[in-house]
Order: sequence, then C-alpha cells, then structure tokens
Amino acid sequence: MGSKKSSKESSAAVIIMNGKPFEVPPGGTLGILALGNVGIRAWKKASMNWKEKETKEAGNEEKK
Amino acid sequence: MKKKNKVLLIGWDAADWKIIDKLMENGLMPTMKKFVDSGVRGKLATLDPPLSPMLWTSMATGVRPYRHGVLGFVEPDGKGGVRAVSSHYRKVKAIWNMMTMEGYKSNIIGWWPSNPVESINGCMVSNLFQQEKKGKETVEINEWEMPEGTVYPERIKDRLKELRVHPAEITGNLIMPFVPQALTLDKKEDKRLTVISKFLAHASSIHAACTELMETEEWDFTAVYHDAIDHFSHAFMKYNPPQMVGLDDEAFALFKDVVIGAYIFHDMMLDRLLKMIEDDTTVVLVSDHGFHSGHLRPTHVPAVPSGPAIEHAPYGVFIARGPGIKKGESIYGASILDVTPTILSLFDLPIGRDMDGKPLVDIYDHPRTISYIDSWENVDKPGGELVEVKEVYEDTNEAALQQLVDLGYIDDVKLNDSSEENEIYLKGIIRENNFYLAKSYSSFGKYEESLEILLEIENKKKPDFRYLIEIIECSIKTKRFKLADEYLQFSRKGSSLSEVYMDILEAKIQIGLNNPDRALNLLKKAKASNPDNSQILFELGRLLNSLLETKSARKCFKKVVENDPENAHAFQGIGLSYLREEKYEKALDNFLNATERLYYFPIAHFHLGETLALMKEYEHAIQTFELVATMTPELPKIYRWLADLYDIIGNQEKAEYFKKVLKPLDLGERVIITGMPSDKLIGILEKLTVDGVKIDGNLSDLFGSEISVIETNWLSKYKEKIIFLPLNFIASLNDIYSYRFIYVLDNIHNVTQQTNKKMKIKSSTYNKDLMEAFEKQERVAKIWLGQQPNLDIVYINSIDDLDKDIVKKFLI
Repeated sequence: MGSKKSSKESSAAVIIMNGKPFEVPPGGTLGILALGNVGIRAWKKASMNWKEKETKEAGNEEKK
Repeated sequence: MKKKNKVLLIGWDAADWKIIDKLMENGLMPTMKKFVDSGVRGKLATLDPPLSPMLWTSMATGVRPYRHGVLGFVEPDGKGGVRAVSSHYRKVKAIWNMMTMEGYKSNIIGWWPSNPVESINGCMVSNLFQQEKKGKETVEINEWEMPEGTVYPERIKDRLKELRVHPAEITGNLIMPFVPQALTLDKKEDKRLTVISKFLAHASSIHAACTELMETEEWDFTAVYHDAIDHFSHAFMKYNPPQMVGLDDEAFALFKDVVIGAYIFHDMMLDRLLKMIEDDTTVVLVSDHGFHSGHLRPTHVPAVPSGPAIEHAPYGVFIARGPGIKKGESIYGASILDVTPTILSLFDLPIGRDMDGKPLVDIYDHPRTISYIDSWENVDKPGGELVEVKEVYEDTNEAALQQLVDLGYIDDVKLNDSSEENEIYLKGIIRENNFYLAKSYSSFGKYEESLEILLEIENKKKPDFRYLIEIIECSIKTKRFKLADEYLQFSRKGSSLSEVYMDILEAKIQIGLNNPDRALNLLKKAKASNPDNSQILFELGRLLNSLLETKSARKCFKKVVENDPENAHAFQGIGLSYLREEKYEKALDNFLNATERLYYFPIAHFHLGETLALMKEYEHAIQTFELVATMTPELPKIYRWLADLYDIIGNQEKAEYFKKVLKPLDLGERVIITGMPSDKLIGILEKLTVDGVKIDGNLSDLFGSEISVIETNWLSKYKEKIIFLPLNFIASLNDIYSYRFIYVLDNIHNVTQQTNKKMKIKSSTYNKDLMEAFEKQERVAKIWLGQQPNLDIVYINSIDDLDKDIVKKFLI
C-alpha cells in the first residue's frame, strides 16, 4: 500500500485500497483517516492540490 | 539474545463490552469480531478511583497508584505552579523501561501520561504531541509547532509533525458518519461539532504516528493509546439510544450515532493495524474501565473535580490474539494491573515479585513457565531517562490543562490570577491528589493509611462531601464508629450529603455498633423513599442476610439484579441467602453467577467452596478452596476447610500439609460453652465452676447485654481457654481462632417460661413473640454451627452428661 500519482490526472492523490486504486477526495473519508500515515499523507496532498486548483481557477476568473 | 515474537498493545480508553458486543452482533465492528473470535477475551477490572492517568500508569507498570505516584489529572510543577499530569511523578519503571533494559525496541505512542518522553530503545511520542492549542486559543495550522519533549528521538520529529491532523482540517465529509445531519448545524458555532472535530483529529494524529513508526522503524513492542472513545462517550453517551428521559427529541435525533460512530472508526483503525503486522505478532487490546450505557447512565454528573468519572463502569475490555494463545475462549479475573506482567510473560521476561498484578497465564494454550525477579527497580541497566526539556512551553501546558477543564476533570485553571489565588489553587490540587492517594489505599483495604491522609486533608470549614464519605467509610472499616458517627453528624448538620445516603451510612455504623434493628429501620426508611435504589437495596439485602431474614434479603438482591444483571455482589447475596436456608443447589447457581461476572471475588469463591463441601462434592470443594487460598492466602478458615476435606477423602498427606500451613496462622483454640438462656444452662455453668473448671465470661449475663463485640479482637481478651458465650453471639466469633463447642440443649417452652418468670410475667403465659425469637435464635445458631469448617461440637442434655468422657475431653 502506498500513495502514487494517478496516470489520468497528475494533481490527484491516489492510493491502493483493497488492491484497487482509490482517488482520495479532498474532503477526506473516515476510511482514509483510518489508514493512518499513508491515508493522511494522501489526503493532505489531495486537499492541497484542490486548494491550489481553486486558487488558480479563482485567479483565472479574475483575469477574465 | 533470542528474538521473540512481536507484541502490539492497543489501548482504547473506556471501551466497553456492552457496546462492542452489540456492534459486533449487528456487523458494525467486523474487524473486532474477527479479532475476538481468533483470540481470548475477558473483562479487565479497573481500580478505584477510576481516573485514566492513574489507571494507564498502573497498566504500564503493574503496580497500584499509591506506589507508582501518578495521582489525578494535574500535579504541582515544582515551581509554585501546576501542570497537566506528566511522566515526572512516576516513581517506578514502566514496561518500556523494562523492554529497553532487556534490549528490545519499542514504539510508545500517546500513552497517558508520557510527557516528556523518555530516551528508550526505540521511539516515543507523548500524549501532548497532537495538542493544537496555545493556552485557551487554538493555533492556526501554519503556526502549529511541536513542543520539545513530545517526541523521541529528534530524527522522527519532522515526519510525525506533518502527519498530525488539525481539528480545522476535519471536513463535513468526516463529521457526517457521526452526525448525518451535520450540515443543518453551524460547525463553527455548535460546540458539539467542534469537539467531534477535535476528538477525531487527535485520534487520527495518534493513529498516523503509530502506523508510521510501525511501518518505518524496527520494533519488538508497540504500544498505542487512544483517548477518543472515552471523550466521545463523556460528551455523547447521553444521546445514545435508548433516549434518556428529559432529552429533547431534536438533540437525540442529531447525535444518537456519535458514540457508535466512534467505535466503528476504532474498528477501522484496528483493521489497518492488523493488516500491517505479521501473523506471528501477538496483539493485545485493553481498556482501563468501561462506560455506563442504557439505563445505568447517571442522570447528572457531580460538579466536583473528576466528577465525570461517575460515568465510568468497573470493567474494561481485554482481548489477546497470537501464537500460543487460546482461540475463541474467555478468561476471568483479569485486572488492569495484570497487563504489564502479561506483556513480560509474552517476551519470557521475569515478573517483578513486587508487582501488584499477575501474568494472565490462562490466555496460553499450553502451560508456560513464568520467571520472577524481586523487582525491576533493582535491575542495574539503563532503561531510558526523561528527555531534558530546555524550553518549557507554558502555552502547551496551559492548553493541556484547558483540555482537562473542558472535559470536566478539573476546576477552571486560575494560573494568571494573583499569586495568592495561585497558591490557593495549588493547595487545592495537592489536596485533591492526596484524596486520590487515600482512595487508592482504601480500595486495596489499607483503610488505616487512607484515614490518616483523609483526616489530614479534610477541612471542616470547607467540607467536600467526597472526603466526608470516605472518612466515614474508612472509620467504619477500622471500627472507629465514634469517629464515623462524628463525621456523619457533621454531614447531617451541613446537609453535605443527601438524606438517603446519610441514612445508608448511619445504617452501616449501627450495624457495626451491633444495633441491627436501628440499622434496619434506617434502610427501610431510605427504601421507602427510593424503592429502586440499588445501593439501598444492596445494603438492606446484606443486613437482612446477616439477620437470617433470607427471603426478604433475596427479594432486595433480585431487584438489584433486575437493574443490573452484571452485579456480581447481588448474585453473591442471593447465593448466601440460599446457603443459610440450606438450599445448596440454588446457592451453587448463584455463587457461580457471581464468580462468572467477577472472578476476583474471594468471598464468593469461598462460599462456593462451602456449598460444594456441604453438597459432599469434596473434590470440587477442594479445588475451589485451593483457588481461594491463592486469592487470600492469609485466611486460616480456608486451610481448616482444606485440612478437613482432605481428611474426609482419605488423603492424609495433604490433610497434614494443610494442618501445618494452618499452624502459624492459627491463634489457638477456644472452648465455647453456649446454649439457650435457661436454668439448665445456669445449673451446668455452676456445676462446672464448683468442680473447679475456670470459665471466662460473665456467667450471669445470659443474653450478653454486657458484651461489646465492636471492640477489635474482643475475644482475645479472654485469656483462658473456656469461655461462656450467649447463643446470640456465636456468629460474631472471629474466624482466626479454632473452636470446640459445648452446646446445652433445652426445650423452647422451658426457656420461655423461665424468661417470663424473670420478667415477672406469669410463667405459663403464652408469649408467642418471645418463643418465635428463641426458635429463630436456635435455628440460626445451629445453621451457623453446621456450616463452619472443622468445628467440633458436643451437645449436653443434662448435668449428668458432664461426666461423659467426651465432655471431659472437651474441657481439658
């Protein structure tokens, strides 16, 4: 088990859960928290990516 | 050193079997179910007072709080201030020090208290590592530092720092499983949602640190402690189904799933831990106490320090799984004191003889050799030192204290007030901790030590009802009835306690003063106003049992069992009522019920042994008494039974062995002359005196009105070996002595007539009440005599019987 980048979208945090890739939602899930170190790292990354994306989009909106 | 299998110890504060069993049954704790089924389970008896820092330190050391020194939630910091309970006051080695001494590597995460951390062989993360407050204020995430002393070694600090979860990071997604309608509430405004975020963030931080260390560090022993179930239960058990009377429907609907959610989350964390370990790792899961749910929930929490502890139930959980451990079985008689000795046994390390706990050898599927040393305190090897903290973060300390205030465990901290107020506050903390020390003594039967402390800290100008109760209880236990009465009258004047509770205490004093009728009236009065109060029913049942009012006693105990089917003491009371009625089958069932619910219950095992012996189940009785001997080896009565029983089954070698064991404990034999208060008894006593037999006791006091059994060792005053004792006093005979009885028989009619005459009532008057009283007295005495071990009795019908050889032999 470990975190790795999705092949589709480099900003997404994906971990392997029960043998299958699982994209960690930025809001997290209890299941992710229960994974401990691995889950929290992936969730923090997903959350950070989402915030960056939001900031970027907000910047683009302002430019328009 | 040969490496042993790894051990993972998981601590869940306040985890309770009642909730876990229900959730497992409903498929909501699947990992726990699999875990329990593949190992052994049991109840873990807590200690009094049931305060977590004291209990978890007992768990990690194997000794009681009055020996380990961690008392309460806060402690003096040595500089005139106070701080949250820390590692500084622990006076004995903890399991992680012992592991270090023996070269094993440990990960210790979040143990309460473990700040500052120690330089052990391995890694240590203190219980303050996840603290996000600075004083009373919550720190922003980007300013969230990790204080010195919370992590050892320094090299793991950065990794763990980034794994902490801040309550502000907890999103609606994460709250919803606990409160499905959370979106209808304002997370920032509703304090109940804020605390869920905090508890969840703390649990996640601890779990993340644990998994990180388990995955990246070499280890033999990992111990992790979570406080979340306790905190969730204190805050939300009142919303747990069934809905409590007086709780509004809206609040119930919103928060009824929170406690269940907390347990399910722990099941998920457990799943992760179990998937991380190898098959040969032993896993032990424990809790320090349970938590009252359902109708046992208290309706209000007393507004005193550590008041919330009233919600704690007396048994925590114990589960162990691993190589060499039984599967799918239950163990009995475990206590939180047994955790460290058991972990030591898993590593084949010796148990300290000075430990109060024992290794739980019943968990093993084959006999295991247990080794002992006098004390781990004498082992001259480095076990880790407290990490020196150069810069003390006052804010961190204040934050830790504030958390305790928020949880209701301590009064609001007044650290920033004037030095005078500060001093008063500090004195209050010292006083409170001494109270916990006294409680720790009294809960282990050390009433003298406890009373000495209590009388020192008690302040009549500022009475605290908890101190008064403890003083009265300890005074009763040490037979200082006058002192008990003095404090009771003081309590009555100041109305410090409820009327009913004071009646119960007064009843106990009256029982001690040998005034059962007065005690009975008080308890009946208390029961009339509180017919379902288990405490009153229990005390009343006990008194009625000792008065041989067995049917009424049973009624009381049965009502207690209706309220709480797990009450072992009530089952013991029912058993005793049947034993006194000579209904042995029923007595047996109830003693078994009692010992099944509470294994470490020597008196219930003792009565079980008596019942089996009286049923002529000698082999089983022997096994039971031998077990009692391991629990309370100082009781001579046990060895008397064992010597007697081995004699009966023809094992003379064993019978002699137990007679030898008994010898140093036996304080000598007394010959007791007793019988109904009649002219025949007087005649026999006079004849013996004329014949030169020296008889102690007041021979003209046939009813014993001048005897005071409340004096300690009253019987030891009778230096001579032959004593006259009125019949109504024989059940007060102390079991430290052996007895031979000369029992003068008489007809009840004769006795009644003679008593009438003495009372100047016409001797032939039919006095029904008196007759019944004599009949009852005789019945009680005969049953009591019949149930005593190794007691020789000779019955005398007339003065002529004194010439019989057997009687002469008794009088030598």
